[in-house]
Order: sequence, then C-alpha cells, then structure tokens
Amino acid sequence: MNEQQQLIIETLNRLLTDLCTPEVVDRSESGTFAENLWQILTETGLTAAGIGVEAGGSGGDLEDSLLVIREAARFAAPVPLAEHFIAGLLLSEQGQSIESGPVTIASGKFIISDGLSLSGTADDVAFARWCAQVVLVAQGSDGLKLCRVPASDFDIVQKNSVAGEPRDSISVNTKVAAESAFSVDSQTPERIKLMGAALRALMMSGALESVLEMTVQYSLERSQFGRPISKFQAIQQQLAILAGEVAACQMASHSVVEAFSTFGELDIAIGKARIGEAVSICTDIAHQVHGAMGYTLEHSLNHRTRRLWSWREEYGNEREWQKIVGRHFCAQGADKLWGSMTAL
Amino acid sequence: MFQGLKFEPFKLPDEAELIRQEVREFLARELDPGTLPNSDFNAGESAEFSRKLGAQGWIGMTWPKEYGGLGKSFLERYVVTEELLAAGAPVGCHWIADRQSGPLMLKFGTEEQKQRFLPKIVSGDFFFSIGMSEPDSGSDLASIRTSAKKTDGGWLLNGSKIWTSYAHTNQYMVTLVRTEPPSENRHAGMSQLVVDLSDKNVTVTGIRNLSGEEDFNQVFFDDVFIPDDMLIGTPGNGWEQVMSELGYERSGPERFLSAFRVIVEFAREIESNPSDEQLVLLGKLVSHLVTLRRMSISVAGMLGEGKLPLTEAALIKDLGNSYERMVPEIVRLSVSGDCSRRFVDTLNECILHAPSFTLRGGTREVLKGVIARGLGLR
Repeated sequence: MNEQQQLIIETLNRLLTDLCTPEVVDRSESGTFAENLWQILTETGLTAAGIGVEAGGSGGDLEDSLLVIREAARFAAPVPLAEHFIAGLLLSEQGQSIESGPVTIASGKFIISDGLSLSGTADDVAFARWCAQVVLVAQGSDGLKLCRVPASDFDIVQKNSVAGEPRDSISVNTKVAAESAFSVDSQTPERIKLMGAALRALMMSGALESVLEMTVQYSLERSQFGRPISKFQAIQQQLAILAGEVAACQMASHSVVEAFSTFGELDIAIGKARIGEAVSICTDIAHQVHGAMGYTLEHSLNHRTRRLWSWREEYGNEREWQKIVGRHFCAQGADKLWGSMTAL
Repeated sequence: MFQGLKFEPFKLPDEAELIRQEVREFLARELDPGTLPNSDFNAGESAEFSRKLGAQGWIGMTWPKEYGGLGKSFLERYVVTEELLAAGAPVGCHWIADRQSGPLMLKFGTEEQKQRFLPKIVSGDFFFSIGMSEPDSGSDLASIRTSAKKTDGGWLLNGSKIWTSYAHTNQYMVTLVRTEPPSENRHAGMSQLVVDLSDKNVTVTGIRNLSGEEDFNQVFFDDVFIPDDMLIGTPGNGWEQVMSELGYERSGPERFLSAFRVIVEFAREIESNPSDEQLVLLGKLVSHLVTLRRMSISVAGMLGEGKLPLTEAALIKDLGNSYERMVPEIVRLSVSGDCSRRFVDTLNECILHAPSFTLRGGTREVLKGVIARGLGLR
C-alpha cells in the first residue's frame, strides 16, 4: 500500500466508524437507505476513486477503489459501492460520466430494438430500489448494447439476500435515449461477471478480517470459569485456524487486486474460490466462539457473517470458479501442472 | 490484520526465474525415470544425487563464496528447493544441512567451523541430522535431559535423541543438549554440539515408520567426547539459536508440497476425460496450493530482507500441513475403481507418510499455540 492509499484507508476508516454504525446497517435492512453515508462517501470522492476525473470520478489508481470497496466491507457498509464502481468503469469506457446517485448494474435478459426500445428482466439486482440509474447489457440486432436507464423506468419487486441486502427483481419496457446506448463487444457480460467476482472476493476478504478481529476481541472480553475464554487452549486452537484462513484470504485478495486491471481470469477465479471456501470455516468458528450472543440480530457479527454467506454465492460460487481453474490446469496436462502454476 | 500477521505480495526476481530453467533441465537429465517421484522432502534420499546437485552449486547456494557458496539470494534458493520437491527429487540427504545446519554455522559458528564444514556441505559430502526430540521430550523441547558435562578440552555427552532422520547415513548431527542443570528459566543452560555420528560411543538404532522404511532413528550417547571446537555459538545460548532457525524451517515449500505428486498423478488419471466433479476438485487443490505458495514466497521475501516472521512461518506450516493431509483423502474418493498402478502407488505412499506431516518440525497443536500468541491470546 502506498502513502496515498494509506491516507484513503485512514480517512475511510474514520468516516465509517462514525457513519456506518451497526444501527445504520440495521436500518438499511429494515428499509431505510443509508443516504447520509452514501452522500458523504460521494462528497469525499470515495465512491468514484479510480475512475477518471473526466468521467466524473475522483481520479487516482484503480487499486484505490478496490481498497475502498474492501475496506467498506469490513464495516458491512450497506451501500452499492461495488456495483456503482463497475457501472462507472463501463460508462467511462464509453466516455460517459457517472451520476453521484448510486448506479447499479443488472445482469439479466434484455433485448433492445434498432429503435432503442428496451425490454427485459433481471433478478438479484443490488440496491435497485435505492439507485438513480441502472446499467445493463442488452442484445441488439447487431450485437450487444450497454444501456444506462433511469431506475424509475423499471418495475421493481423488492427482494433481499440472506444478509438482508436489497437484491431486487426488475423488469422494464422503455425507450432508451440515444446518448445512453453504446455498442459493446461480446465479452462484456463475462467481463462484468469477472469484475463482480473479483469485487465480491475482496469484500469477503475484508469482512473476514473484521470477523477475525471481532472474534479475538470477544474471546478476550468474555469470561467463563473465572477467566477469559481466550485463555482456553480449545478456543486458541480455533482462533488459530480462523487466523490461518483469513491470512490465506488476505494473500489471495492481493492477487485479485493485481489481476483486476488486466481481467486476469485465473487469478480472480482462484481468489473467489479460495476466499469463498474460507467462509464456512471462518463463520463456523466465529459463531462458535461468540456463543449464543453471536446468534442474535443484536450482535453485529451477523452483519459480516450473513453478508459472507450471501457474497460467496454471487457472481459464481466456489464450485463454479474451481471448475474454471480445474479446466485450465487439466488442459495443461499432468506434466505441465507445476510449470503452469509457477507461470501464474 | 493483527500485528505480526502480514503477508505482502512478493514477486520472485528475474534471476530466480532464470535458475528455475536450469534446475528443470538438470532434473530432466538426472532423475531416474524408473523410480516413483515423491515430493515429500523426507521420503527419498540419494547421496549420489545430492553430490550432483552440489556440483551444480545448488547446496548452500546462498552462502558466501569463501565457503564454497554462490552468494545467491534467498529467493533463488527458494526456487531451487521448490523445483526439487515438485519434481519429486530424492533430497533427503542434504536437505537439513542446506536448510538448517549450514545457516546455523554461518550465523553462530566459528571461522574454523565454517571452513571445516561448509565447503563439504556445499559439495554434497557432509550430511547433517537434527538432534532435538528425546524419548521424553517431544513438543516440550525445553524438557530435554541429554546433557554434556565440561571436561578437559571438551564435553562429555550422555543421553539419547529420537526421531533423528538419516542418522544412520549422515556424518554429523547438530544436537541440542543441557550444559547446565535445569533452572527456573527452563530455556536457559542449553547448547548446540556437533556430534560425529561415526564416534564409537554413539549408537544409532533404526526405527521403522508406517511405510516400513527405517529413515529415522534413536541415537544413544555413552560418554561421547565432544571437543570444545564442536560447540556452536555460545554455551547456554542453545535455545535462542534453535528458535532463530524456525523461520526457515517452517515456512518453506516442503510444508505444503509433500502431497504434490498425488495431485500430478490425479491430473494424469483424469486428463483425457475429466468429469465436472474432478475438475472442481482439481481447481480446489490448485487454488489452495497457489495461495499457499504465494504466502510462502511472501515470507521468503521477508526472510531475505533479514526479518524473522515467526508467526507467519508457523501459520504457513499449519495451513500447509493441513492441506497436505487433506489432498490424498479427497483425491482417493474422486477417481473410479480402475486406476493406474502409478496413481495407486503414489497415493498409498502419501497416505503412509501423511501422519508425519503434522508432527515433524512442530506439531500442529504447537504451531497453533504460536499463532495464538501472535494474535495476543497468550
């Protein structure tokens, strides 16, 4: 991490400590968007770090925004930073700037006519109900088109993920403005999925770090049989396993960051698979150590663990990405297995 | 993350990648196609192979030229070791001398000791064992009772060491002994002595392991005279000296590659017609391995910068050992009944060695204690 990035993380940390309290996360789940949080993140330029200034972003490195998204996940920030970022990147490639209101991205089945009539549906659209615009890819007569559509054009059926985060079903039948439809190449949907998987991997790794910190802290504070439970070897061994998994995820997330700008599919696949796999081990231990307290909605452990259970499924779960990794290495053949691993 | 637990990405330098090619060409020439490769560092030995490796300059390669080394970086050595293991080369003879005994002498030894031992280790002529565990002292190393009493011009050594790999074929053993009676500070009063295993007062008795091999031993000392110049470092400083080796001992590729040949043979079994389940499993195994390797290289980078990341090293060993234990168990259930002989032999060999993975170099329970300390729990 360079100095600039350290500064971003420190600023963000202070901001989120104040603005992304457990109450704010809970309120979001019961239907109130964390408007204030989003607004201040926008004003400080943190929702568009890494997107060029000419495209309405705050400039800086791509890596900056990845760090922001990872850090925000440590706090379970209930805002669509990842989707807004992907939308921003896609729009900036078209020379377009992104709105300050959250923009989400929809992956579904959309068709667009030559006259720019758009129709179709998508499920699991993050935060659609609270977004200003939706960015999506539609099939046109001569290839794919990236469309930017006001969220008010959609019928939105509100649904929630296992974490209580908005994952809405949306449908549309509208006319897209000519300046809001752009021809894109056939790889675009895969690229969106890859970016989504990379960001979910980073978010999981951030949330897992926070889970480790919370669990260690809790074990130091909670006393049973006359001493902190952290003094019991059984607990120490469990926390050591947790720390090992979290450290592996930290390492895998570094590689995901490096692979992001080049769409390095293999490294992103390895990251999403490895980090996703850590989730069950880590949440199991964290909940066990937290005891019944951690099983309540009152304790903010659930803000992390439930998100982890949701994020590991999104943009392809471990199985899906492991298969991609497995297919690549199987195709190399047994005697090239090692060589292709060291070439990564 | 918590203080003391940091894995920064680290890229192997170009010169390390150049050596990789040389090692691959060497191995393609030298490995006997008739023997089954085994990536467990402790499961194959050939003095002849070690001497050939020495002739290439790849034993003690980081050591100064005056002692026969090449003055190469720690990362170049890393590449050589991982290539040897991945190819399943018989590295048992020189492994400990290269990894541990030599560096120990470089750090704590006298000029005379360095001159006497290091060039011969480099050439693949002197092989070393480690004498730490005793029949009553396993994980609790500080409880050792083997002792050396001061005598004219040296020390008189009595007691016994156990689980000493290759003591029956190696020339020397670096032995941790009590040179003072136990005191309130359990870690005080220990020293490291170089024992000549051919001494007539040293008895080496083989112990058969699960696979029937006698690669480890019990070693008995009956009034063995150790000249003063065979003590390494400072009398009484043995514990600190031993602890300083652990970063190297625990973080290397031998802590997660022991089962690698099983993955290679699994890939060979499935490569012509893999099922989805088999691809998923291969992807899982590779994802873990790639990540472990990056963690290990990250620690190698830290070691190369002169840092001593003991918690990270323990963490890699623990995570890596669990992985090595998992590999044969999940692979065996994901193939059909009619597998090649080669696959079955590789798998069985790994299963028979697997219990040692999580014992040698610190049990997983001890390692988790080290990690817990790093987390501030103890």
